[in-house]
Amino acid sequence: MARKDFLDIESLDSEEIIPLLDQAVPFKDLFTRSVKKVPALKGKTVLMLFYEPSTRTLSSFEVAAKRLSADVIIFDVPHSSVTKGESVRDTIDTLQAMRADYIVVRHRLSGQPAAIARQTGASVINAGDGAHAHPTQALLDAFTFREVFPEMERKKVLIMGDILHSRVARSTSLILKKLGVEVAFCGPGSLLPQTQFRRFTNYEEAMAWGPDVVYLLRVQKERQDAPFFPSDREYHQVYGLTDERLARIAGEGIYVMHPGPINRGVELCDAVLDYERCLISQQVENGIATRMAVLFGLKPTKS
Amino acid sequence: MNLFLKGGEVASEEGAPESADVWIEDGIIKAVGHLAVEPEGARVIDCTGKVIMPGMFDAHVHFREPGQEAKETIKDGTEAAINGGITGVVMMPNTSPAIDSPTVVNRVLEQGRKCRIPVYTSGCITVGREGHEMAPIAGLKEAGVLMLTDDGDAVPNAALLRRAMEYASDFEMFFASHCEDPQLAGLRALNEGEVSYRLGIQGTPALAEEICMDRDIRIAHATSTYLHIQHVSSALGMETIRWWRDERGAKVSGEVSPHHLMFADEDIGDYDTHYKMNPPLRTREDNAKLLQGLKDGVFRIIATDHAPHTEFEKSQAFVDAPNGITGLDTAVVSLFDRFISQGEFGWDLLVKRYSAEPRRMMNLEVAEVVEGKTADLIVFDPQGETTFTKEFMKSKSSNTPFLNQTLKGSVDLVILKDELLLER
Amino acid sequence: MSLALDESEITEAVTSLADQIFKKTHEGQVDLVGIRSRGDEVAERVRDLLSEKGVSVNFGVLDISLYRDDYEHLVQNPKLKSSAIDFPIDDARVILVDDVIFTGRTVRSALDAIFDYGRPTSVELAVLIDRGHRELPVQPTYVGKFLETKRLDQVVVRLKNTDGEDAVELT
Repeated sequence: MARKDFLDIESLDSEEIIPLLDQAVPFKDLFTRSVKKVPALKGKTVLMLFYEPSTRTLSSFEVAAKRLSADVIIFDVPHSSVTKGESVRDTIDTLQAMRADYIVVRHRLSGQPAAIARQTGASVINAGDGAHAHPTQALLDAFTFREVFPEMERKKVLIMGDILHSRVARSTSLILKKLGVEVAFCGPGSLLPQTQFRRFTNYEEAMAWGPDVVYLLRVQKERQDAPFFPSDREYHQVYGLTDERLARIAGEGIYVMHPGPINRGVELCDAVLDYERCLISQQVENGIATRMAVLFGLKPTKS
Repeated sequence: MNLFLKGGEVASEEGAPESADVWIEDGIIKAVGHLAVEPEGARVIDCTGKVIMPGMFDAHVHFREPGQEAKETIKDGTEAAINGGITGVVMMPNTSPAIDSPTVVNRVLEQGRKCRIPVYTSGCITVGREGHEMAPIAGLKEAGVLMLTDDGDAVPNAALLRRAMEYASDFEMFFASHCEDPQLAGLRALNEGEVSYRLGIQGTPALAEEICMDRDIRIAHATSTYLHIQHVSSALGMETIRWWRDERGAKVSGEVSPHHLMFADEDIGDYDTHYKMNPPLRTREDNAKLLQGLKDGVFRIIATDHAPHTEFEKSQAFVDAPNGITGLDTAVVSLFDRFISQGEFGWDLLVKRYSAEPRRMMNLEVAEVVEGKTADLIVFDPQGETTFTKEFMKSKSSNTPFLNQTLKGSVDLVILKDELLLER
Repeated sequence: MSLALDESEITEAVTSLADQIFKKTHEGQVDLVGIRSRGDEVAERVRDLLSEKGVSVNFGVLDISLYRDDYEHLVQNPKLKSSAIDFPIDDARVILVDDVIFTGRTVRSALDAIFDYGRPTSVELAVLIDRGHRELPVQPTYVGKFLETKRLDQVVVRLKNTDGEDAVELT
């Protein structure tokens, strides 16, 4: 039975994840054709409900939906009545009238997409909620990782940066673990909660662990209500991918990933973007294919 | 009214229940014991296998009136209490407006007098619970306030709390503290730990509660004030109370709610707002230690922190949904189901901690099933069961984890003075 | 259930297809595109026979799952596989190959799909079996075998590489 919603990684098992990754391959193949579009979701409506600003994820979903021939409505949240105090529940009731088949939600509150999913028969896709989950990012990360390492078992990924506030860290670590990849976290103690994963507060010790991929996170200043580290400069020196560190990483053939958008001079130096084993643009391309696979794989409930 | 409760087990705050018949006439307990003949003209109620005990008393309820009557009114709240075998309550002052002046106290107590059980109230320490100015303590006392608290929040300014305690020393009124350091507490949505990480919500560490507990007890101790610590959620917080009481002789007592004995943060599952309250549910280890503390006597009383919220409010995203769950309808049955029926503690503990001690703490007459006393008692059927549907519960709200669950035990009769308040 | 074609009859039908196509080849060049699944295996066999005759064959596989018109009626969307067409479709003379033609809907989907790869000069259709009951105005150019069926009959084709044996059954 197909899923109605795609809300988190926690509730997926590897028997569901691997077919999803497999499913994304033919979608990626389409991108080399002269016509990149297929009629799979012709006549369907995808509603983008972004309560938080986003350029990358929003346009990635938009491209994915349009390549499946769906009609895309971008609900302009900042200018709508939600800023006048209308609750999300009321907004969804109103939007039901548009009869969207898929609703892609991003919200600052953890759990909001799940609440919406309970309220509507449309398929709800979580495009990031609070610090909780970003499951399509996790899927594209796993897809990109598998392209580089087809045998994923026992490979090592070091996720580095603001673990505490990162929904990407949560979802990507979980999907990798479910696929047999070893995951560890590295970052300043103030941003590194106790979790099931190995934890390094020291960069050198983390690198000595022998990661195959260093996954850098954006330092999310907008989610920080009290300072967690003194300055960007100090962060870059202690936990950033500096030029010297990049040289060593290059020497060891380690890959670099990042969910974007990047902060140059904070978590990474400019040179990382030209590094041959930097997978950032590959991640972006794979984001479209994996999101097409997610949209295609879900089944809205008929109302 | 002339009632003869035949063949029950009478529970008190000391020892095991003893089998006895209870005869009530005109609101007075005429006899307790084995009567040779049934009193003439009395309605006989067979209580075989049932437990007869004093009516319970809840010293921590939020009745939302005035201001938020959509959640609960004083009338609905007292009906929920009766439904759960509770025959007296103390309201918290975080209504809107707050209970911080004789005018509001009078209004609340006047509504209370229209109800079938006595309603008492606490009053604010600071005006509007805002933590800036001292509330008119003497006026509140005169209007009938039994206890001072800014429940819902701590008094943020330690100097103000100290002065209020010093000032109030002449009025024979005691203080109660909601303990929480607001900066450490942060979002106040759930406990900080693995669950908060998994759900991606900033957690409130137990530290936020413990540090404030220590602060408030120190201030009370320094000013020779009796301080009652409300809704203790963490084991270390409980140890703080124990230490001050036993090692320093501080006049301090603790309160524990049924939910902090029964539930932990992991029960939140997939953002179930019926497990969202403040202070938050901690861990299973805390549950076990708090239960031990209740048996040891660190907690003077059990109180529900009955906090009704509408279905709409609780259906919002976890962070947006308000804190609190209802408790009056469910407290006695759930305590029986989870603890008494499991042999964790006896009826004597329930009577002592949920009937006798809270009344003593409030300087009220203690209800007892004893000859010559005013009738204030309930009959509980351990063989029965209760399903907590919306229809069954009398609270205006149904935000409880027990919603639609069936638990062991049933409150069958509630008698107060000359009135049969509930008969099932 | 009855056996409609056995192994040798299937071989005969494939050979007949290859012969028909060979007669019409232009300048010894054929562009075969098999439709997943089983159309690709039929196309492979035709390719092999044509190659033996010295014909130069371009070979591709088309997955039409994304072009189906019946998602609404499915509990779960079909498992996708990649299409693999590594020769230019622009100006090609494409011969689509499928195992069975029935309503014609698969062919319609395949035509839509193939045009998203480019603009072929012409498209022809080769099928192993024509079982009739068309719902769309689509006719195959080459047919291996005609089969009399009722509308509700099911024609089940099993081929060696895909299913382990060669057989066509009617149920």
